[in-house]
Amino acid sequence: MIPAKTILFMSIISPKTVLLLSLAYFALLFLIAYYAEKCRKKGNCLLKNSHIYSLSLAVYCTSWTFYGSVGKAATSGLEFLPIYLGPTLIAFAWWFLLRKMLIISKQQNITSLADFLSSRYDRSTVLGAIVTLFAVFGITPYIALQLKAIAQTLKILSMPLTTPGAGLYDYTSKLPWSIDIAFFVALLLALFGMLFGARSLDSSEKHEGLVVAVAFESIVKLIAFLAVGIFVTYGLFDGFIDVFQRFAEQFPERRDMLLLGTQQTPYTKWFTLIVLSMMAVMFLPRQFHIMVTENTDEQHIKSAMWKFPAYLFLMNLFVLPIALGGLIINGGDTSQADYFVLTLPLASGHPWLALLVFIGGLSASAGMVMVSSVTIATMVLNHLIMPIILRMNILSQNLSKILINIKRLGILAVIFIGYFYFKVIGDSYALVNMGLISFAAVTQFAPAIIGGLFWKRANSKAAITAITLGFTLWFYTLLIPSFVRSGWISADILQNGPYGIGLLKPLELFGLRGFDIYTHSLFWSMLFNLAAYLAISFFSKQTSSEEVQAKKFVDVFVEQSQQPNKLKRISKAPTVMEFVELMSKFIGAKPAQTAITEYLSHQEIDSRGNLSDHEIPNLKSFTEKTLAGHVGAAPARIILENYLEARGSEMEDVFDIFGTVTISHASSREQLSVLYEAAQIVSSEQNFQKTLDSILELLAQQFKFDLCVIRFLEPESMTLIVKSLVGVSSEHFGQFERNLNMETYIGQAFLSNATTVVNDTDATDKPASAEHIKRDGITCLAHTPIVFEGEPIGILSAFSKSAKGIFTQEFIALFENLAGQIGIAWRNDQQLQKLLVGREQEKEMQIAKDIQKGLLPANLPKTENVEIAGLCVPAHQVGGDYYDFIEHNSSSCDLIIADVSGHNIGSALIMAEARTFIHARIDSVKQPTEMLQELNHFFLKDLDRSDLFVTMFYLQYNYITHQLTYGNAGHNTPLLWRKRDQKLETLDAEGLIFGIKDKIAFEQKIIDLEAGDLLLLYTDGIIEAENKEKQFFGIERLGKLLEECDDLSCQELVDRIMIQGRIFTGMRHFNDDITLVAMKILK
Amino acid sequence: MKKPQSNSIREAWILCLILGLIMINFPFIHIFNTPVTILGIPILIFYFLVGWPLSIAVIWFFVRYFENDPKNNSESGGDKSIP
Repeated sequence: MIPAKTILFMSIISPKTVLLLSLAYFALLFLIAYYAEKCRKKGNCLLKNSHIYSLSLAVYCTSWTFYGSVGKAATSGLEFLPIYLGPTLIAFAWWFLLRKMLIISKQQNITSLADFLSSRYDRSTVLGAIVTLFAVFGITPYIALQLKAIAQTLKILSMPLTTPGAGLYDYTSKLPWSIDIAFFVALLLALFGMLFGARSLDSSEKHEGLVVAVAFESIVKLIAFLAVGIFVTYGLFDGFIDVFQRFAEQFPERRDMLLLGTQQTPYTKWFTLIVLSMMAVMFLPRQFHIMVTENTDEQHIKSAMWKFPAYLFLMNLFVLPIALGGLIINGGDTSQADYFVLTLPLASGHPWLALLVFIGGLSASAGMVMVSSVTIATMVLNHLIMPIILRMNILSQNLSKILINIKRLGILAVIFIGYFYFKVIGDSYALVNMGLISFAAVTQFAPAIIGGLFWKRANSKAAITAITLGFTLWFYTLLIPSFVRSGWISADILQNGPYGIGLLKPLELFGLRGFDIYTHSLFWSMLFNLAAYLAISFFSKQTSSEEVQAKKFVDVFVEQSQQPNKLKRISKAPTVMEFVELMSKFIGAKPAQTAITEYLSHQEIDSRGNLSDHEIPNLKSFTEKTLAGHVGAAPARIILENYLEARGSEMEDVFDIFGTVTISHASSREQLSVLYEAAQIVSSEQNFQKTLDSILELLAQQFKFDLCVIRFLEPESMTLIVKSLVGVSSEHFGQFERNLNMETYIGQAFLSNATTVVNDTDATDKPASAEHIKRDGITCLAHTPIVFEGEPIGILSAFSKSAKGIFTQEFIALFENLAGQIGIAWRNDQQLQKLLVGREQEKEMQIAKDIQKGLLPANLPKTENVEIAGLCVPAHQVGGDYYDFIEHNSSSCDLIIADVSGHNIGSALIMAEARTFIHARIDSVKQPTEMLQELNHFFLKDLDRSDLFVTMFYLQYNYITHQLTYGNAGHNTPLLWRKRDQKLETLDAEGLIFGIKDKIAFEQKIIDLEAGDLLLLYTDGIIEAENKEKQFFGIERLGKLLEECDDLSCQELVDRIMIQGRIFTGMRHFNDDITLVAMKILK
Repeated sequence: MKKPQSNSIREAWILCLILGLIMINFPFIHIFNTPVTILGIPILIFYFLVGWPLSIAVIWFFVRYFENDPKNNSESGGDKSIP
């Protein structure tokens, strides 16, 4: 135990050693960073380790913590504690707050805090710039504070403290105004930042070297602080209890230091500090960078949630013992309290421990400076410099090289602005209290960030106003008083207010008294900040793009459909290659190629190797996102907008073809309803023309087309003829017939039998069509073939004069379906036409049948001389068979049977002709052969023309003489059953069929008949009737029947023969006309 | 996209956050704000020395608990607040 008064101040460490050690430590940091980068290149990313993530978060503990906590504890007691309790508390919220920020940032390729806010609020350039400016304003002095700590501790280590009472400020004031050690430290830190923090332009990429070095530094500073804590508590004292007891004994008047609610640390201040630190640990740009941008796995949050608070606890465990111990040893002198951690080991003769502490402090400072400079430089580049570059439109050359160098320069600049601050205002109150002042500054971002995460209505106007107001109040109530205390501004403003307005006193704004400076400032800044944020968000409207961004943030956990993009299209869209060129300008050719390759591998590409019209907006989003990863969201948006604007391309709303119904879920229902209606039209029994008109009307009405046309192919001329047209007719598109060739869209659709769509007629590839399209003001069109049995039979076309890009995949499917319906309507119509024709013919045939039936003798007489029965069964409606019975007078009768080849209407006509001729000439022609000859002569020309021929058997029976005179024109020989002889005879006579030649000699024969003789005249229909075995009915079977049935009446005989015929064939109908005439001689 | 976290976990965390805020602020902390010592250490300091590690332990326990319970695990749980 060393009594305080007897401490010897020793200077054992030479400045050289300190410098060398510092250099060696820096070299180690560079090596570690280099190693981490190398691991990454090998694919072994050290950031995948959750310990490194948790440790790197401890960049929160700067030299302000390392040295300042003890100083604060020694002077103000427990006031140091809230700075670490706040982060422990907010860690409870990380799983839903930090994780959400993390996932959003990954999806949006967010690079920094400013980028996050700008992205959330409509990718606002203004907001990004404001946040960046405020961050620079609030954070750069903080960097100065770190450099100051390094410089001071170096001095303390390398210079003996001559007297215990000598204040540290003495040393700094003694420094000559020249380049000093801090300059080199700043240079080294800048070098580190440039090497490992600006490796490439892609800020969304991880910086392994930087993060691993920071994590390493966190270990070093913790070990150093624990070492000195254990040394003081257990080396210089007898443990915790001893320190507290001796402090209580020695300084009973400072008892309040260990209490709250005191004048030094009122509860309000305590609360304020907790709130400030809660916000700071989340929203300090460097914290955001380490927590969000450098995170590789959201699961790391889980372990960081307890590891980081545990780190803070260990870091603070010995703050009070060291502070109180330092006070005891130094006799209550607080002037060097900030550096107790360093002076206590030094004074007690442990220079190596002091060196370790120094390295720990160096780590704390270096970590903060490295990360902050990279973060601020990125923000400045992306949100201040990029917008200016883009406004100046320097897009011609490759910018990626320039940009990365600007970023490196930015890091250097940020650190040296910090150095400059340190040199100029190093000892000011403002700088010394910069830690808390910067906490209060970033707290102004909190409402916009947290609100933006959970409240969709929050908009950019609100965020910009809120942050600006918050910062104004922060500046007025916090920075102005600290400027006054630094002696830069007259204290008059604090006492009397500006221009003597008491209500505006920066420390007692609007008369609010009795609070410490931080609580006062936090209250007013937050009041204005929050009020503006809530009120403006509530009362103003979001733009549609803002709404989309807000949704992406707030609903990040909700599955988002890709649909919204489909409602947009780009007119005069750039090609894929053009997008790549654009990206190359900003991020370099190689990364651009890699990115696009990766993207395209997941996209559907059409046959021509292009992305479909509706994929282009997605590609645009992708390009924007990729650019955002390098230059930030707001600049990325400007780049894309400028680029498209320069091309004359526009993002345009796709005409919402399905009306107000959202396209994703209900579109199928809408489609179905249109198709259903179309199907109803087709199935309704209106005529074809009306069906076509109705379908077109439905199409035009539902989708607001200006012109819809249906054309059908005219097969003879191979042209498409307009069948139906609805809408404003146009000379070309509505009226004209179309020839089929591939020069026109309609021809292409027909010939390739595939739908042809032109979503934007500004980009046509068919000059033949383009002229007409232009003249008629058509903006987009679609042709789809109407197909029947796989073959195109016509074209359904739709034209719009106002909208572009309305032919989405869904619509094309619907359109093709409609064409299919028209095809069905066409087929129905064809069938109907056939049916009608058939019915008409059938009716005519019926008439013919009736007439023909009338031509045959209606009732054959049963005279006292003969009994006659006849039957004619045509195979079809009408037939070519004919028989007739004509009684001359009471003495004789003529019996005729004829068969005209074929059994159609032609045969029937010839048969009618024959009958007419016979009936006309019956009185003048006496002999059967004479009649046959005349008939032959009469028929010759007619039959020759019609390729028909006629056979006929003509007989004349004389009742008195019982003589039968007959002639035969090639007809089947009739059968004669001789009753008396029980013998079957055939009546044969020479003679050719009619129509062969002009003069035919018909043999006329005469035979005598007796009572009971039975004569059967027939046509070939009966004897050639076939059964299933292809056997004919035959004359024999017929003769046998005649023989068996000679006692039946003639009618019965004819009927019997028909029955037997049917039994034989097994069918009701015969293939040929059948005519049977039976004559029985009665007397 | 990761599936949303179970609502009950989020509520538990918010509850802890609010409880924590209460326990280190006025008036709750006023209970310990006396010069009394416990085991030679001022009771307020003692409160922090015990309470702080305890809260860290609570977080540690929660993280572990949710990790091991497949029903509440963020990877499998559905967010009930979003239909």
